[in-house]
Amino acid sequence: MRKLFAFLFKYSVAILFLILEVISFGLIVKNNGYQQSVFFSSSNTVLASLYTVSSSFVEFFYLRTANEGLAEENVELKNQLVTLQNQLSSYLSHPSDFQRTFIAPEKEISFIQAKVINNSTNRTLNYITLNKGFRDSIKVDMGVINEDGVVGIVSNVSEKFSVVIPILNPKINIDSKFKKNNYSGPVHWEGFDYRYANLKDIARHVEFSLGDSVITSGFTDSFPEGILVGTVDDFKIRESDAYYHIKVKLAVNFRTLTHVKVIKYKNYEEQKNLENIAKE
Amino acid sequence: MILFLQNIVRFILLILIQVFVLNNIRFLGFINPYIYILFIFMLPVKFPRWLSLILAFVMGIIIDAFSNTYGIHAFSAVLIAYLRNPVINIFTSIEEGANPVPSFYTFGVAAFIKYIVTLVIIHHTTFFFLEIFGFENIGQTLLKIILNAFVTIVIILGIHSFKKK
Repeated sequence: MRKLFAFLFKYSVAILFLILEVISFGLIVKNNGYQQSVFFSSSNTVLASLYTVSSSFVEFFYLRTANEGLAEENVELKNQLVTLQNQLSSYLSHPSDFQRTFIAPEKEISFIQAKVINNSTNRTLNYITLNKGFRDSIKVDMGVINEDGVVGIVSNVSEKFSVVIPILNPKINIDSKFKKNNYSGPVHWEGFDYRYANLKDIARHVEFSLGDSVITSGFTDSFPEGILVGTVDDFKIRESDAYYHIKVKLAVNFRTLTHVKVIKYKNYEEQKNLENIAKE
Repeated sequence: MILFLQNIVRFILLILIQVFVLNNIRFLGFINPYIYILFIFMLPVKFPRWLSLILAFVMGIIIDAFSNTYGIHAFSAVLIAYLRNPVINIFTSIEEGANPVPSFYTFGVAAFIKYIVTLVIIHHTTFFFLEIFGFENIGQTLLKIILNAFVTIVIILGIHSFKKK
């Protein structure tokens, strides 16, 4: 027994070292997935409050770009409003037609406005923290966009804050397709340049050209169909390849991100339940 | 006592600088120097090893929480806190009974540079490989390690060269 204690004492530092490394490694492995614990992340209330203070300084420098974007979006929305009002008035003049129109269930969405209080673009695993949480009815898996296009997907929610995994994180793929011919594939980020990502699984026979728009496919619950992800910037294919290597210029500038919209899909539960029943 | 206070201030200051200033450097899109490890480098040579391991772990966890890296910083920081003493023994010969704080003056220029370079490279290699958690795109990861380690080393040696004896 005494020998055992002597042994433990002699190697106490090495044992402590091993224990701490095992704990750290456990944290890494446990949280390497997509859902993560709220406590050790920036959606933790204390840390998020600190970030709110620091972002209020930084935000000042990006106000100008944010304003321009919002103004542009405003004009676009006004235009859509006019078109819709015209359509509505034409429907109202034929009430019998009007009664038969339903809104497609996958299009019943609304937006929650949120502010970015922490954001990184320079790491391999980037994250964004927002100043809205489940008390603003934000839930895990909701899509996040801004006026330019897709930003990412909500992964953690605390009471007042939430953490978003942006496209700039190899842990997620955004299901996308070409706007003009509907061929779909995931958009994946390789971890280097915050302006570009790759579109995968586009087979050799698909025709497309530089500058084509890549939009969300609508096959996931996070995004409705048709939100811009980016445009084709460059592509190549070798003799032996079955799939193109397509470089997509992302629509969103992640460095100047200040305000975003979280997509709330009203029929999420109903669709999920039905799909789960089908799987059983 | 002064040494004790100095280390507490350094601990807090380095975390704040790391989280609010350095983590926001976006030079070239992927340069993010990690100089919080300077705290571990500057503990006195005979500082109790178990305590330096625990301090490194706590510091790593705090940085992790701020940057959503879950244990990656903790792992790398504990590793260099453990390897610090063997590295010091390899590069320097400390007199019996002396307990110097590592610097250009106490270690000598060459030994101090070797000490910093070795540990920074170990830390960054561990960190970036754990971050990507695999060996795909290995060239890219190595490039990141080399460039980031270079920037970190330059900053740390820069800070030290301004220090008076």
